[in-house]
Amino acid sequence: MTRLWRIFKLMMAGERTALLRGLALATLVLIMGGALLGLSGWFIVAASAAGLAGVGAVFDVFRPSAMVRFLAIGRTATRYGERLLTHDATLRALTKLRVALLSGLAARSYDRLIRLRGAQALNRIVADVDALDGVPLRLFIPLIAGAVTQVLALIMLSWLVTPAVGITVFLIYVLGGAGALFWGITRARVPSRQAESAAQAFRTRFIDLVTGRQDLAVYGQLGLEKARVSDAEVRRQEAATRTDRIERQAGVVLMIVSALAATAALWIGGTLAETGDITPARAAIGFFTALALMETLAPLRRAIAEIGRMLGAARRVEEVMGTENTPVAGQAEKLSGPVALTFRDVSFAREARARPILEAFDLSVASGDWIALTGPSGVGKSTVLLLAAGAIAPSAGAVTLNDEPVQSGRVILAGQRAALIQGTVAENLRLAAPEAEDADLWAALEAACLKEVVTAKGGLEAMLGPRGAGLSGGEARRLVLARAILAEPDVLLLDEPTEGLDHATASKVLAGIRAALPDSAVLMAAHRAEEQGAADRIVALSPRKPAKSHG
Amino acid sequence: MTKKTKKTPSADKRMLAVLLSREGRAIRRASWLSALSAVLWLPQAALVAAGFSQLLIGSGGVSITAAALGFLGFAIVRLALTTLSEGMLFHAGQSIVTQTRHDILQREAVSLGPSGVGGPGALAALVGEKLDALLPYLTRYAPAMMRVKAVPLIILALAFWQSWAVGVVFLVAGPVIPLFMALVGYAAKEASERQMKEIGSLGDLLVDRLAALSDIRLLGAAPRLIDQFETAADDLRGRTMSVLRIAFLSSTVLELFAALGVAMVAVWVGFSLLGELSWGSYGSPISPWGGIFLLLLAPEYFQPLRDISAAWHDKAAALAVAGELAEWEAQEADTMVGTGADAAPLPGPATLAWQGLVAQRGARRISYPDASIEPGAKIALTGPSGAGKTTLLRLLAGLERPASGTILVAGQPLSDASADPWRAHLGWMPQAPMFLARSLRHNVGFGADLTPALLKDAALTEVVAALPKGDLTLLGETGGGLSGGEARRVMLARAMAAQPDVILADEPTADLDRATADLVTEGLFNLADQGATLILATHDPALIARMDHVIEVTP
Repeated sequence: MTRLWRIFKLMMAGERTALLRGLALATLVLIMGGALLGLSGWFIVAASAAGLAGVGAVFDVFRPSAMVRFLAIGRTATRYGERLLTHDATLRALTKLRVALLSGLAARSYDRLIRLRGAQALNRIVADVDALDGVPLRLFIPLIAGAVTQVLALIMLSWLVTPAVGITVFLIYVLGGAGALFWGITRARVPSRQAESAAQAFRTRFIDLVTGRQDLAVYGQLGLEKARVSDAEVRRQEAATRTDRIERQAGVVLMIVSALAATAALWIGGTLAETGDITPARAAIGFFTALALMETLAPLRRAIAEIGRMLGAARRVEEVMGTENTPVAGQAEKLSGPVALTFRDVSFAREARARPILEAFDLSVASGDWIALTGPSGVGKSTVLLLAAGAIAPSAGAVTLNDEPVQSGRVILAGQRAALIQGTVAENLRLAAPEAEDADLWAALEAACLKEVVTAKGGLEAMLGPRGAGLSGGEARRLVLARAILAEPDVLLLDEPTEGLDHATASKVLAGIRAALPDSAVLMAAHRAEEQGAADRIVALSPRKPAKSHG
Repeated sequence: MTKKTKKTPSADKRMLAVLLSREGRAIRRASWLSALSAVLWLPQAALVAAGFSQLLIGSGGVSITAAALGFLGFAIVRLALTTLSEGMLFHAGQSIVTQTRHDILQREAVSLGPSGVGGPGALAALVGEKLDALLPYLTRYAPAMMRVKAVPLIILALAFWQSWAVGVVFLVAGPVIPLFMALVGYAAKEASERQMKEIGSLGDLLVDRLAALSDIRLLGAAPRLIDQFETAADDLRGRTMSVLRIAFLSSTVLELFAALGVAMVAVWVGFSLLGELSWGSYGSPISPWGGIFLLLLAPEYFQPLRDISAAWHDKAAALAVAGELAEWEAQEADTMVGTGADAAPLPGPATLAWQGLVAQRGARRISYPDASIEPGAKIALTGPSGAGKTTLLRLLAGLERPASGTILVAGQPLSDASADPWRAHLGWMPQAPMFLARSLRHNVGFGADLTPALLKDAALTEVVAALPKGDLTLLGETGGGLSGGEARRVMLARAMAAQPDVILADEPTADLDRATADLVTEGLFNLADQGATLILATHDPALIARMDHVIEVTP
């Protein structure tokens, strides 16, 4: 509950006024509901008594009936306002939470980020946040509004009817409601959490299956994986069924509590009216108000069913929000004048790896330089590039750009894995340069020898599938290069840029980059002759010995 | 790519009817129970009225204790009926949704290319939260319909029995509600459709960008991505809010009608009981019992009508989902050959031959030269980028169906029946590595342990040792956490672990430096030495030089 309260406060933070107003209106709705039914009941019974007594002519019918109409219409209007306010505020808070989660994920350390899986992150941002809408709407707002209304009803019933009715109704509702809530929450917590995690497992596995179905088919694993997806759904259904049973049982308890309260009000008030202690009309107020107070308990049922789901989601969301992260750097201003990227005595070791990948490494790349890093796979070429991009921090030494720490944005890394996204060719390109004109896009495509391919596919608005599907490996690689060109970086880092391209295309692409970015400092992990040939200088990294610069 | 199917106006309604019919009986029974429970309010109200009547007149009613006990007794019976009905409806709804999930899973597992509704993210949204959005309709609409048919009519009859004035109020106010709902229904449906579309595209937008988040950040494009997402998420919020606004507004209007109806009844009853009004009843003025009874019935007369109006909105959302389902179902997806399940290998030597083989790639037709491949042969598929080498490998693995021509595998035509047993002979190295959300170990051996020999043959021993959790590490979708060359070697290890008779590899040495390329090449040739057939699509001259035959694929 503390955790949910924290999340509630977090959601409240940005929408305080709207949520407080919504809460006030929610309370008003409940109060008006109780007043409406109590007054109507009193009015009918009192009118009836007056009629029977023959004093109908002096009975003031107009004020009570006007009040009844006012309450009926007022409650309806208030409820409309309350719903709009609370839902709008909640949805706004949830949208902010989603954006904050995405920012939190984007700011994770590079090591964790590369292992981030789309489907699981999607679960955080979509399913978990969706689960949290119940925290204000179905838990705290109804709970607070209901409690306030009950206290008010205690006072009013004690005054208008008799303390016996007021106290009895109050105790039955508060003790019964709290008891049912506690009982339901304790029991529903586990199955409700299980249902949610099974639903998330279903989603992850389903996305995995659709993405990997061909590999799985070749290895005869599709049947098993399908069974795993179904299994998650079966588990979800089982847990949901258990949760539903508890929810219905809790619903029964809540209804019995309401029925008991109304019955008690009827019986106590009625008995007192029989003995003449109070009028039948006052007894009617007790019964009808008790009947209307049922509304204070009704929303608790859904809260019970959702509690485990909300708790689990709250925990995971807090986890993402709470991690210490590096700030997300945006596109920085282009540096004026020549730049120099310098490695001074840099070492890097992954914690798990006993031996450092890189030791006492020195290198300097200046504007206009093309440097090729060579060496066998796993020797640390990609590590040098990641250090240069500022994605990972050196264990010792310093990597600087013009004597300042490296800032991502002015240093761009075109990696081995093609980071293409679903969308148009233009959208993919504009990730690097949001303001670029179509002509700039075409120029970059031409430099990367991709103009004909894109034209054949239908131009800049041609749609790419997930992860750039629809392009061959070589085409995807060139699109990533075109995007890097478009960003006009001060320092361009290329990780085996011409892989998968034939000899002629590879040479043309490298020449194209050089022509497009004459002033950029280029550092490239290279093993092909074409790449090494394009460089002004070659730095060979050798395994497990401190790398020496040969330049 | 995506074929747009024309949606007939009633496709969504038909789909909804099909879904409902899967649990039609259970839903009908539950609806009866729910209506019965609603009707039992009548004796409950009669008892309360009788109790007060006794208090007022002192005779003719029931004692207050009896009224209170009777009230409680009926409350418990109604509760039992409602709970039973809700339980049945819950099961019916779950069963329909689970079955639909199962159907989609079965078909999507063997489909090729994107589905009619979009990529994996959109598809997952359809299978997940959108199918869940069917539940309120499946479980609430039919019982609400049943209550609306039973309860208001009975109450109307009782009202006319006691007072024609109250009867007339009910008669006039009642039908306004469904009429109003029909008008609102159209707007609600349109808003729901827009909202559902947005949910799907937001899912697609995210799943893809999240997987590429590390690279997007290196581009310095993370803030832009977050901005884009914020806009999209805010759009979705707007759409959701407009659906809710219609729902809230219409339920407010209905509540207003109901409140006015109840208030009119209350005022009439009050004035009549006072003796101020002499019209509206039959001859004698209405009794206190009659007055209180009518007042207690009035809200319940409107309640089913309000329920049905809430269900109208559920229906609008359900129709939007059903429309997408119909669209998904109507789309003719290309499927792989066979089911992809585990099967015993085809008997006989793993020979491979094809004749007159033609593949359709969009508007382009690719014809392949005939070939016949004996076990142990080493074949290079060459040709410029985009010529159709990958497509040929996919055809040979049964992952795609040829436009014409035949493929003979182990002497049999490649068909739905023979595809799975044929694939039991295969090792497969795709160009783009894809990792399941499971341990590295599972991604290689599919449950089998990784032997040191296997890791050594694939040159992975040190790579695995350096991972945070060794071979239990969870990697990113495209191998995040490994370098390109390392990911490629994992694919090699996976092919080796299958102990294949035929290896189909797409550019196995791309992304690798010479030394690592040689390691992979050695791994492949080790398999060949053990008798495996190698069929490699490649540009690598060093690799081509070591092969027996070259099949030139020309565009």
